[in-house]
Amino acid sequence: MIPLQYYLLLAGILFAIGAYGIMTLSNGIRLLMCVELMLNAANMNLIAFSTHINDASGQVFALFSIALAAAEAAVGFAIILMVYRLRAKIDIENIKLLRW
Amino acid sequence: MMDPNLTTIDFRMYAHWIVLLPMIGFLLELLIGKYWWRKGGMFATLSIFGSMIISYGCLYNVYVQHLGFWEYSWPWFYDGIVAGFVVDPLSLAMVCMVSFVSFFIHFYAIGYMSHDCAKNVYFAETALFTGSMFGLVLANNLLQLFIFWEMVGVCSYLLIGFWWHKPEAAAAGKKAWMSCAVGDCLFLLGIAMMYTIMVKQGITSEIISFNAIFQNLEHLSHEALFGVSALTIICILFMCGVLGKSAGFPLHVWIPDAMEGPTTVSALIHAATMVTAGVYLIARAFPIFLAAPNALMIVAFMGAFTALYASTLGLVVNDLKRIFAYSTISQLGYMIAILGCGAVLGVASVAYALFHLVAHAFFKALLFLSSGSVLHGIGNIRDIKEMGGLLKGMRWTGYAMLAGALALIAFPLTAGYYSKDRIIEDAYIYATHGGDLGYMVWIFLVLGVILTATYTFRAWYLAMTGEPRSYPAIHPHECGFWMKTTLVVLSFFAIFLGIITGGGKDFWHFLEETFVHETHTATGIYPGLNLHEIAHLGGNTLMHHGAHPPSWVIYLPLLLMIAGLAIATTVYYKNRIDVSKYVKKDNPLYQILWNKYYLDYLFKDIIAEKIIMTVFTFWDVLDRYVIDGVVNLLSWITIQSGQVSRKLQTGIVQNYATAVIFGVSMLMILVIMIRGG
Amino acid sequence: MGLITILMLVLLAGAILSLLTKTTAQARGVALVSSFGALAISILMYLTYDANFNTITNYAFEESGTWMPSIGIGYHVGVDGISLPMVLLATIVCALCAIYSWSEGKRPNQYFALLLLMDLTLIGVFVSLDFFMFYVFWELTLLPMFFLIGIWGGPRKDYSAIKFLIYTHIASVLMMLGIFALYYFHGASTGFYTFDIPTLVNAYKDGILPISQYWLDFIFITIMFGFMVKMPSVPFHTWLPDAHVEAPTIGSIILAGVLLKMGGYGLFRVLLPMMGVASTWFIYLIALFGLMSILYSPFAALAQKDLKKLVAFSSIGHMGFISLGVAASVLAGMDPARVVAHTGAMFQMFSHGIITCVLFGCCGVIEHHTHTRIIDDLGGLTKKMPKLAILMVAGFFASLGLPLCSGFVAEFGILSGSYHTMPIFVILAAISIPFTAGYHLWAVQRTLFGPYNEYLGDVKEIKWYEFTPLAIWVIIFVILGIYPAPIIDMMQTTTEYFLLSGDILPIGGIHVPPGGAVPW
Repeated sequence: MIPLQYYLLLAGILFAIGAYGIMTLSNGIRLLMCVELMLNAANMNLIAFSTHINDASGQVFALFSIALAAAEAAVGFAIILMVYRLRAKIDIENIKLLRW
Repeated sequence: MMDPNLTTIDFRMYAHWIVLLPMIGFLLELLIGKYWWRKGGMFATLSIFGSMIISYGCLYNVYVQHLGFWEYSWPWFYDGIVAGFVVDPLSLAMVCMVSFVSFFIHFYAIGYMSHDCAKNVYFAETALFTGSMFGLVLANNLLQLFIFWEMVGVCSYLLIGFWWHKPEAAAAGKKAWMSCAVGDCLFLLGIAMMYTIMVKQGITSEIISFNAIFQNLEHLSHEALFGVSALTIICILFMCGVLGKSAGFPLHVWIPDAMEGPTTVSALIHAATMVTAGVYLIARAFPIFLAAPNALMIVAFMGAFTALYASTLGLVVNDLKRIFAYSTISQLGYMIAILGCGAVLGVASVAYALFHLVAHAFFKALLFLSSGSVLHGIGNIRDIKEMGGLLKGMRWTGYAMLAGALALIAFPLTAGYYSKDRIIEDAYIYATHGGDLGYMVWIFLVLGVILTATYTFRAWYLAMTGEPRSYPAIHPHECGFWMKTTLVVLSFFAIFLGIITGGGKDFWHFLEETFVHETHTATGIYPGLNLHEIAHLGGNTLMHHGAHPPSWVIYLPLLLMIAGLAIATTVYYKNRIDVSKYVKKDNPLYQILWNKYYLDYLFKDIIAEKIIMTVFTFWDVLDRYVIDGVVNLLSWITIQSGQVSRKLQTGIVQNYATAVIFGVSMLMILVIMIRGG
Repeated sequence: MGLITILMLVLLAGAILSLLTKTTAQARGVALVSSFGALAISILMYLTYDANFNTITNYAFEESGTWMPSIGIGYHVGVDGISLPMVLLATIVCALCAIYSWSEGKRPNQYFALLLLMDLTLIGVFVSLDFFMFYVFWELTLLPMFFLIGIWGGPRKDYSAIKFLIYTHIASVLMMLGIFALYYFHGASTGFYTFDIPTLVNAYKDGILPISQYWLDFIFITIMFGFMVKMPSVPFHTWLPDAHVEAPTIGSIILAGVLLKMGGYGLFRVLLPMMGVASTWFIYLIALFGLMSILYSPFAALAQKDLKKLVAFSSIGHMGFISLGVAASVLAGMDPARVVAHTGAMFQMFSHGIITCVLFGCCGVIEHHTHTRIIDDLGGLTKKMPKLAILMVAGFFASLGLPLCSGFVAEFGILSGSYHTMPIFVILAAISIPFTAGYHLWAVQRTLFGPYNEYLGDVKEIKWYEFTPLAIWVIIFVILGIYPAPIIDMMQTTTEYFLLSGDILPIGGIHVPPGGAVPW
């Protein structure tokens, strides 16, 4: 049996990669992928803890989260698609008309 | 309905109608007067005639039928403030004089104002003016007196500025109000103080009625404010009100300007309805003044000073109406001075002051109305330098003015002779008891006599005799029926009032009953009022019996009057002395008099325009830039801080994500630290 | 359903109906019916009001019900001798304003709807006996006024409307802090959370709140700040002249005539009972605010070039008398004089509400007919508008405190009644009288008298729908000046209950420890 810590460590690394990506990247699609990474890190934690304490509700939450991630990806890609049509670029640094 | 036998009617019950009738006249005149007889004037004149009938009815009840004096009141607003009416010799003397003179002035105005297009407004205002004066005179308490005192003020404002399209008239009205307002605010403060110390005595009903105050003078005299007797402070504050309304120095400055109104208004103001109010206030509140240490001394001195001061100014003015205006200030000074002498003379001084007031009302109304007739006859020229020789064309007016002038200078056997010489004699008695200041009062009053005679006859000679000095003066036209009748009636009283009243004695005896009630306390309004005891409260000692001054004192005013008359005759009638040598701009004395001792300059140019307007402008700056500046500064700071802090919102997602992650990490570290890992 | 609820529903229905109309005539018709209906109801309330109510119950026409019981918010309304005249004032002023705006052509449906809403919210403030309702209505009054200024206002309307809204709103928010503190302290100590005004105020007054003097003072001063800004008292007054200058005439009339009275009303309803418990120097502070307003207004008014701004400053001075009268009347002294000062202050609220309507109404007429309000550009208007001249002279004279007009009754009461407790304040206040007279006369002289300024062209006489309301206001203040009993008797009963019964203030008034009252 793989100890819980390994899962947590993996999830931590995944989360850190995602967070690093969000903070540094500017390409919209890459950003969305990083968000997915962070979500999956959270899912992994949920499943790992749920097996650890022998309670299935964690896995149910993970399923919810996956569904949510799918919806989020759909909306996110739709936005990026629209931005691409308008600006022919998907660099989010250009999308700051609403600041100030 | 009406009892056929008038003598059985008790008019004293209807005293409030004396006030109400002119008020009704005011409303009718204002609302429908324009559509009635001669487009205005009927309602006002008739309503004042009605008041006159009630007034003389009351006089008949009290003086002939001895029905006793009368006082009644209704609760008004606040607890202890009443609307009350008092019928006693003092108020009767006033209402009878006011209604009579005012009625004849209205009668005269029907002719004088016949061509004015806003005649109904004029008559409405004069009716209100007269009605307010009745209210003032009949008031049994200080507040009601003050209310009508202010109403008199507002009517004078409106009437002085009646020809509102003339800027000088509008400004004169404002000046009159402002001078009075300075006095009135202090008067009101005095009433507030009186109210307070009366409440302190536990008085709950009719708190500031004269009766209640007189009954409590002994307790009130123990009250002190700021270490001074409260009554003295109150009396000084009342005195300030009197100086404003009765044109005492230094608040008299409005009187000459008030000549911008119609002449009938000047007559009303000077004779019947306004300036006498101040004298009446001191007379009515006489026991209070008597009980207040030093108050009457101030009154006497201010009065005497005003009397002399104003008569010096009368010497140089060329405006016919203004000469008489200064004579009014001067004569009011005599009345106020003799009231001040009451510290020694007691109630007699009230009687003397009132007699001079009544006599003055007749002859001053006469003087103004005859000068109004002159103005009417020569096309509104007021400068005596442009008149001359008017007696030929205007005999009625000229001789009426002569009658008034003789009464004014106290020519023997005229009304003024009996009233004014008595004042001067008794001022001497006051002086012998009252110390150095008392002599000063007497000297001022005596010097005033010679000046009065000179300036009065200067005006009469210059206007009526000699050669006409301008085109309109060559063909003056005499006044018509309404005005002529009035002049005749008033001339009669100006000459014969003294003789009718037995040299004033009947009048004095009647008036002295106002405050002396030992003989018939049952009917007295002020039961138990003992002026001798009250005088002791104020540190005054009244004389018990009239002392007689030495005979040289009695003849001195007469001699001085003749001297003044002689000067005027020599200079202005016989033209023996050429005054133009002295009346020059480079004569410093003339300069000072011509500029009215620079008092107007001080008030208007320095205080009003320089100091106060500067303060106001500064105030506006303060309001706009300091107080509102703080408000705007606060909003500016808010906006600026927003300007700065909104830069944080870069619009770049990575920055937000970094901030979120940083914040969450910080929170976690915080949680761990707090929970001790 | 009681009369008060019906009164408010009539106005609410009127406001909604008016919004649905199309033309000026329809909107005006709805507004007239609704506002005069409200006036009729308030007159009915006045006629059936039992002046001796306080022997039976504290409030007449009282209605109480639950609204949000979980947090202690109730529907509690009622009137007494101070709020009923205010309701009457609001309905009189708004009904006559509806006549005055007979020919309003710009967005008439919204205009009349806002007028009725204004009336409703003002009445709501005066009748609320629940802090939540009170505060909601208090804030709601800002809205109609904001839009009246912002849509129908003058050239700088945006600045003024925003300034008015933000300034008074900040004050209200501070007041809300005080109210919440009161609410929580009361709830925490008794376990009974309520916004009921009498309950909370009594709890504060009876000292059952387990809090330090510091917190008591905090509650007092926040609420006081809310009222003082609304009155407005110098130095928190600067929103008022700006708002008046830009507001349409109706806005000014309601603003000065009724809206400012909310501050004074709060002084009587909320602060007065608290004065016995909060630090005594607050009483002197309130008096000082009053005195500053009294002394400040004539000086500021004389510097104004705009007639309306001058009138706005006169309001500040007159409202100062209310603060002075209230502060002086709560201190220990002679009871009859205290009652007079207090009744005078109450009467000043009503009296100024009527008089100032005439002043602003005249300014509006002048602006409407001559297209200017700058005093220097006017002159000799009597020639063209004699009827206006009579009304304006009457209004200005009443405002400067002429006897036989209602303002004199009030100011005499305040000055005489206050003298024994605050002599210096009264002496200083009396000094302002000639200056007050000065600027009023100056304005009248420069506007109405003197030669007619021909540059103004052919000015028409005042219209009937402008003349009628002004004349009615003049008649009201003259009648009340000659015979103030109809209003003053009702106020005096309430005053005696406030000052002498011991229910509201300590019997005999608040004793100030010698020498220790004023910290400075």
